Amino acid sequence: MLELFVYLLCGSILVSGLLAVLLDSTLAAAVSGGLASLFAAVCYVLLGAPDVAMTEASIGSGLAVLIFLYAIRRTTEKTP
Amino acid sequence: MAEEILIVAAILIFLGVAFSVLRLIIGRTVIDRAAAVDTLTVVSISLIALYAHVAGRSIYLDVALVYGVLSFLAVLAIARYLEQGL
Repeated sequence: MLELFVYLLCGSILVSGLLAVLLDSTLAAAVSGGLASLFAAVCYVLLGAPDVAMTEASIGSGLAVLIFLYAIRRTTEKTP
Repeated sequence: MAEEILIVAAILIFLGVAFSVLRLIIGRTVIDRAAAVDTLTVVSISLIALYAHVAGRSIYLDVALVYGVLSFLAVLAIARYLEQGL
């Protein structure tokens, strides 16, 4: 049961990474990157590392998406 | 009896992850994808809480707690971005 969930989460990390590479919109790519980090945090909990999962959830899934969106907003032209 | 409830909960979590990932892959607009990510966050919190009960270690509940407190940040950032405010 546990192994099934870990394999499922690893497949989900793979799908999220592929989406982050393949999607056209940069905003959707940033969202998919945050999603890969979310699945990785759950995977860390299932493998027995709660402190690593806590750090990954707060920084990877929350702060990284925020900084990516801020960078996208600052580097793209403002549409009139 | 408790075993059956846990198995049903695991199946429901599996279905939630599957349908949310499907919505994320199909998703026509960015708002659909943001909603899918928010749903996946809630489903992940329930998965962590379920595993804390199965493994019998209450330290995992702290992870679910921190995750629940901080998970609004990404969706809030996406909403502010779409409103041209970030």
